[in-house]
Amino acid sequence: MTNDKERISKGFVSTAIIGSALVMVILVVITVWASRTTVSTTDDAVAAVSSFYLEAMADYRARTVNNLINNNFEHMEVALNVIKDGNISSQEELRNSLGNTKKLLSLNRFALVDEDNIVYTQYTTYTGGSRYDFLSSDKLNERVVSTINMYGSSKQLCLAIPTDGLVIMGKPFKACFVMIDIKDISNLLLLEDQGTTYFALYTKTGGNLSDTDLGPIKAGNNILEKTKDHISAASWEKLSADFEEGKEGNLTLVWDGTQETLCYAPVPNTGWMMAILIHENVIHEQFREMSESNHLTSRILIMVTLFSMALFATILLLQSRKASRARLESEMENSRMFKSMANTDSLTGVRNKHAYSEYESKINDKIRSGELKDRLAVLVCDINGLKIVNDTQGHAAGDKLIKDACDLICEHFTHGAVFRIGGDEFVVILQDRGYDKMDETLASINREVEENIEKGKVVVAVGHSVLTGEDEQIHDVFERADSMMYKRKQELKAMGAKTRE
Amino acid sequence: MKMVRKTAFFLTAVIAFILPLSSCSEKVSVQPVPVEEKSTNSVIGAVDFAHELDSYVPKKDTYNFYFTYKIVHPWWDAVALGMEEAQRQYLEKGITITYEYMAPEAASAEDQKDRLARVKNADYDIIGVDVADEEIISPVIDEMIDEGCKVMTFSSSDAAKGCKRIAYVGNTHNYQDGADLTQALCEKLDYKGKVAILVGSVGAPCHEDRARGAKDTLAKYPDMETVAVEYDMDSIENAYNLTLDILDKTPDLAGIICCNMSNPVGAARAITERGSDTVIVGMDHDEEALRYLNDGVIYCLGVQDCFSIGFDTLQVAVKIADGNLPGDLYPELTNEITTIIYKEDAAQMLELLYGDIL
Repeated sequence: MTNDKERISKGFVSTAIIGSALVMVILVVITVWASRTTVSTTDDAVAAVSSFYLEAMADYRARTVNNLINNNFEHMEVALNVIKDGNISSQEELRNSLGNTKKLLSLNRFALVDEDNIVYTQYTTYTGGSRYDFLSSDKLNERVVSTINMYGSSKQLCLAIPTDGLVIMGKPFKACFVMIDIKDISNLLLLEDQGTTYFALYTKTGGNLSDTDLGPIKAGNNILEKTKDHISAASWEKLSADFEEGKEGNLTLVWDGTQETLCYAPVPNTGWMMAILIHENVIHEQFREMSESNHLTSRILIMVTLFSMALFATILLLQSRKASRARLESEMENSRMFKSMANTDSLTGVRNKHAYSEYESKINDKIRSGELKDRLAVLVCDINGLKIVNDTQGHAAGDKLIKDACDLICEHFTHGAVFRIGGDEFVVILQDRGYDKMDETLASINREVEENIEKGKVVVAVGHSVLTGEDEQIHDVFERADSMMYKRKQELKAMGAKTRE
Repeated sequence: MKMVRKTAFFLTAVIAFILPLSSCSEKVSVQPVPVEEKSTNSVIGAVDFAHELDSYVPKKDTYNFYFTYKIVHPWWDAVALGMEEAQRQYLEKGITITYEYMAPEAASAEDQKDRLARVKNADYDIIGVDVADEEIISPVIDEMIDEGCKVMTFSSSDAAKGCKRIAYVGNTHNYQDGADLTQALCEKLDYKGKVAILVGSVGAPCHEDRARGAKDTLAKYPDMETVAVEYDMDSIENAYNLTLDILDKTPDLAGIICCNMSNPVGAARAITERGSDTVIVGMDHDEEALRYLNDGVIYCLGVQDCFSIGFDTLQVAVKIADGNLPGDLYPELTNEITTIIYKEDAAQMLELLYGDIL
């Protein structure tokens, strides 16, 4: 029974350990697989993300330029209304008005142009027909956005609007315009992460307007010329066509071993192209950092999970063992209880015939092994008159008599093993101290028994015998004690004790 | 008073007559790059955009100038940018300079004469003139000076020798520029062949001086034959048509000497159209001309430092307006350089002037 329990317990532990190990291995394998899958898909993600990211950046900056243009146009309209209402009658008043308006509306180089293409600014008046292409026509019919390459490599965005009906100092005026230095626009659009992400403005023919580096393509260089040797002919043709037609697009190119992603988008109304470039290895680096961070997190999670599982398994094991032990103890207790119940006489509370048999067996083993040779006595006790009491006074009185007899025996043989082996028969085994005091105790109990005859109390006949070297088993001693008990019974009868006879 | 002026004028005229041309050029430093050098380094310093005002402290807070030049043309727009930079720097110092910078759509000495007549009595501290025709305009300037106007000349054309204008800022070596360009052409053609000369406006001193320099240089080589001398009146279209005409008449034309900014552009267009091998030498920094130079259609160009001309003109004008005469504060002739550049220099010059490499 115990072996079965141990086997079951070991099986449970083994299963728990193997199961936990298996779960851990599966967890690790899945994590490694997921990690490798993530790395392998990063390349694809980089291309997609960088294109999306750059397209968004290009579009945003293109819109920013467009908003700048629209804002300036609106300010120019306001400025025109102010000037129209100014009743200007001299060049000095006109210059003052232009200066005030320019300052008030934060306009760059704000100027009016009369029908003879004479340009009026805050400080100068000059003939400007050769300086601004939009003045080549006699009349300006609509808003004009043009790019001017100034002598000295300054590039300006020129915004002009017609000034229908404007007459100052008797002269009809045909246009007003502002000039915005493209460097100022570049500063407005400058990327915060310059060094990894670049932007530049280009003309349709690829000329650099913003004077900014586009990664390996230095400021001032023509993007179409510079990319020609770094991309396929088909890609270059598409790039050139997109620039010419003002279409957005993107491409990747390898420059000095570094993969670059380039996105471009037209800036509305200007004929410009906004180009954004990012080193792809920067994205890779960022992805790698994120990936490594995720891996680290995964590793920590795995470790925590493993530790938790180990802890949990240990606690589970301990709890299981504790429960098993408790169950075992409970079962043992039950067993003891059952055993006790099986070996105990329910009426008197002393051990019964079954217990005596086990006891007898153990003693016999010791006798046979030579371990026990002497200093053991067997006392056989028999209650006198039990049948009469049962027959005349009922079984309750009989039971009381048995209890009284048991009490009497137990009171005197405090250092002995008392067994009720029959209805009115008890056996006491004396060893050690009980054996040493046997004579004294026998005398004591016999004396009380004899006194009880007169008192009408319980009378017990006690016969005894000791183990000798010739005895092979305790029953031999029992037989002698039993004979002596019968003799004593006769003696007690003679003294007046009741018997069934 | 009139007698004094007449005497002065007479003496000036005599001196101008007696002194050879070289005596005037001795005052200035003409710095064309020797033809033999043909170095790409010639672009460096050809145009100086990094000007700062000198230490002179103007006497007034406000100035009002009037400048007139020959014709509405990008060359003078470049000069205007130099002026605007000087004006901006003065403004930073608290000195406000207003000015007019005016020209006719077509070169015309009469138009310039009319302009000067209109403005001479107006409230201008200085009147600056880029002389359209020295014979017509020089007397007008003298008259204005006599009437108390402060008149200076600027850009590429000074007034006639002996004119009373107070000072001149600009190209003082047009004759030499013409001679240098022609010398380069002759070398290229191995000193033989038929050549044509395109000039700008009739009477414009700078153009005429360059044409004279060209003619004198050609005269030194007997195998060089001048087949035509034409004026385009500072029009590219005219230069183009004139070149086509010359090519029709002289299919074996070996070279063209262009004396102004529009000449080489028109000539290059015509030469390209015809697929001719005619060698072009010319003046100035027109973007289209520079691209033709880069393509090898034009052999060489003489590039003037227009920005410096404009900047120095305004600076000298302030000093004249304050009553200072030529001397320690400024010279009577402020020379600005001309640099001859070749195909190898074209891209760098384009980037310098227009910020765009081909």
